[in-house]
Amino acid sequence: MVNLTIDGKQITTAKTSTIYEAAKENGIYIPVLCYAKKLLPYGACRICLVEVEQMKGRLIPSCTTPVTEGMVVSTTSDEISKVRKTVLEFLLVNHVVDCPVCDKGGECDLQDLTYEYEVVTNRFQGEKFDLPTDEVNPLIERNMNRCVLCGKCVRVCDEVVGYGSYSFINRGFETKIATAFDRGLNCEFCGQCVSMCPVGAILPRPFKFKARPWQLKEVDSVCGYCGNGCTVTLGVKDNQVQTIRFNEDTGVNHGNLCVRGRFGYSYINDSRRIKKPLIRKNRELREVSWEEALTTISEKFQSAGKDLGIISGARLTNEEFLLLKRLGSTIGTQNLDHSGGECYKGATEGLVETLGVTASTGTFPQVETCQSILAIRSDFYETHPVFGMVINQAVRLNNAQLAVVADKRGKLSKLPNARTLLHKPGCELNVINALCHVVLAEGLANIDDLQGVAELTKALADYSPEAVAQAVGCDAEAIKKTARELAKAENAAIVVAYGLPYTAHSKEIATAAANLALLTGIAGRDGSGLYLCGEKANSQGAIDTGILPGPAGLGAQQMLSAAANGELPVLYLVGEDPVVTYPNRDLIEQALEKAFVVVQDLFLTETTKYADVVLPAASYAEKNGTFTNAERRIQRVRAGVKSPGEATTDFAIFQQLLGKLGKNAPADAASAFAELAVEVPSYVGIEFDKIGPQGQVWGGESLVPLKKQLIPVAGMEPLKADYQLLVGSALYHSGSISTRAKGPLSVCPEAYIEMSREDAATFDVKTDDIIKLTAGEKVIQAKVKVDNRLPRGVLFAPYHFAELELNKVYSGQAVIAVEPSKV
Amino acid sequence: MFKEFAKGLSITLKHLLPGHTTTVNYPKQKLEMAPRFRGLHRLVPGQDREKCVACYLCPTVCPAKCITVESEENEKGEKYPRVYEIDLLRCIFCGYCVEACPVEAIEMTSAYELANFKRDDFMFDKARLLKS
Repeated sequence: MVNLTIDGKQITTAKTSTIYEAAKENGIYIPVLCYAKKLLPYGACRICLVEVEQMKGRLIPSCTTPVTEGMVVSTTSDEISKVRKTVLEFLLVNHVVDCPVCDKGGECDLQDLTYEYEVVTNRFQGEKFDLPTDEVNPLIERNMNRCVLCGKCVRVCDEVVGYGSYSFINRGFETKIATAFDRGLNCEFCGQCVSMCPVGAILPRPFKFKARPWQLKEVDSVCGYCGNGCTVTLGVKDNQVQTIRFNEDTGVNHGNLCVRGRFGYSYINDSRRIKKPLIRKNRELREVSWEEALTTISEKFQSAGKDLGIISGARLTNEEFLLLKRLGSTIGTQNLDHSGGECYKGATEGLVETLGVTASTGTFPQVETCQSILAIRSDFYETHPVFGMVINQAVRLNNAQLAVVADKRGKLSKLPNARTLLHKPGCELNVINALCHVVLAEGLANIDDLQGVAELTKALADYSPEAVAQAVGCDAEAIKKTARELAKAENAAIVVAYGLPYTAHSKEIATAAANLALLTGIAGRDGSGLYLCGEKANSQGAIDTGILPGPAGLGAQQMLSAAANGELPVLYLVGEDPVVTYPNRDLIEQALEKAFVVVQDLFLTETTKYADVVLPAASYAEKNGTFTNAERRIQRVRAGVKSPGEATTDFAIFQQLLGKLGKNAPADAASAFAELAVEVPSYVGIEFDKIGPQGQVWGGESLVPLKKQLIPVAGMEPLKADYQLLVGSALYHSGSISTRAKGPLSVCPEAYIEMSREDAATFDVKTDDIIKLTAGEKVIQAKVKVDNRLPRGVLFAPYHFAELELNKVYSGQAVIAVEPSKV
Repeated sequence: MFKEFAKGLSITLKHLLPGHTTTVNYPKQKLEMAPRFRGLHRLVPGQDREKCVACYLCPTVCPAKCITVESEENEKGEKYPRVYEIDLLRCIFCGYCVEACPVEAIEMTSAYELANFKRDDFMFDKARLLKS
């Protein structure tokens, strides 16, 4: 600790602090333009100049100067004011003063400082900037005439996002921020630059001229897309979510968001939302009253009794899950499952068998200080972009060594010094086994308290790095290096993402990852962690609250098979669109045709075409409750807008259904959570009203494994086909709901099939040509996207789009053998 | 005392003589308003559109909350008021909107004959305000 005096106040602060940080901690105001909490100090704007007695004769930039013992700082004096005012005058020489039409007006740092320092005239004269503006891309509007060259966008894109879209170009007065070759922006469109810009140079285009900042009501909530659980602040006006505001003080994401979180909000106020309950009469869905719909449903449910199948989405709140579970038990059915049961329930089962826990063992911020990180599947960045940014920060700021076990390259492979263990499609297990083999063979494991070491050693005999390298095509040396790094690192992390397009051997992958975590000591060590990250906003909550089949109940896949055989007469689908997102379309269509189907959703989806009753539900922006994210953080979701028409929250629907069945339900989210805190062991002691802006992590920062059982898993045989299709997530989308949001759609409007340059040359296709893939009797076709991230012979298709009908060929396998042909 | 009384009364009587009245014969005769009189608002037209850039400062500053603005982007990419409405029944003619306007797009005219028969007629939309 260091002692210093700022403005006569005695301060003790960490020796890594800068003067600015020390002042801020103690409530002393120093104006800044280029400083940001999450970025490295830069010192570009010279607004934060202060006087330091020991450094007389010049003014010192407080944001880049570290504190030293006995420093005497003064933050205000006539000279400081004069200099700051001069700096502002310099900035305003070229800055176009179009505040009336600039959307930043009202929350612009430059505007505020100009007001504070009363810069009413300018002693200097010069030409105003007259640079062309970038309004070609649909999401981020850049007007460099307003830029103050603070470099925040350059730094955030590099340090946090790891994309590096921007840089300074030219020199002197000509200096400006530009992209490569000064072309239009073509990036991930995460909008981090938008959130960091202190002036109106980079603005969100969907929000252009929509409202003034002071007119917006700010509602802190949690993003409804992926399991990352980023906090978002909704900017609400006229009962519409107008924009997502920047707020770095809540949650674990420090204000970082991805394209979906920041720009994918338009579906909330979409005019196509279902506004009234619908019942199928004469083959057509007709609008009916809630009373009629609920009566019909409750009668059907009661008559089905134990043969009712309930499949829920994983974007409901914990409280809604509680009510849904209660609804199931009231009716007497054990056939209850959520989307996880279709695909990634296995992942949890694998964890339970090895570690005895059902969730990630660490929290996201811990990853920043890890020295070694292993990402299993390259799609991790696509499914959980903001966690991907944390990994990027670990790599860039703390020199963490990142290794990626993947069948294709992705964003993570591009990070500095990232090592990609590129294997043949669908053979992750072999590589993980090889990593375990190295750790065991080289005696790097602490095997004292582990069970099943002998069996595992025996089972892994065939998985020497050389053998695996030979079989699945990765570099043996790279495997060895990675294993050594993971085992020797003080803190390390293993991250796995799971979701609907990753159905294949999910249990085995979780088990293998847990084996590795046990052998390397990652599981259970403070600061290290095994992260199993669910695809949807409340995937973890669904597991915690037990939206899982009862002892005699059927899982999602079994329910659909049973319904297809006519054994399950009634299906209740809550917030799920299985026709588009679940594997094996034929089976699902059969099931939905045979059964009486009740769908509860926001839109008329593909699934509602088979529905007998459709109930209009509410999006996350219309709900109160809690989500539990992939690191076990329970966070508050708050309603910002009212639902359109007669649509209502799932909570209210379950309440009314329970009422129809003669049961009492909790009155609101708070009382439902109070009941959850009694029913769910890991939630005991957590109070709804005490969940603060940072949320509350159940089980503590590091979840202690209840057992340490190693379970051998067999590797996979590589598929022998010339062309192999991989199914997965695209960065711009999450589930199928994002295909109804304008933001994500404007950058990724339709389905595509990605292929390597070599394959594109073989088939003589270019980006946007149509390609047809034949798998057995099934055919799908879509536009081609030629890329250099796929190995030869490997194709990739995202699963979000209804029109691709991907699940015609995808029935849960890891890789699909296909025969491409040009159309 | 009588003297002072007579003196005072003579001033009063002088004002009763023709040519000394201040009352005008409204509506036959109308006074010219002082230049700073705050009457009916007027939106100032520019070359091919209204001068207003829909910055929302007038509805923000308006103490009576009588101004409704809805901004939009025109085909040139400029910000313009798709809707600009003043509810004169609520307006208190304080003139803050004129003071707040950064582009001098709104001013107050000398028109004060604002009586009307229907409530709707007191809603002045953009087209009316541009003509007034």
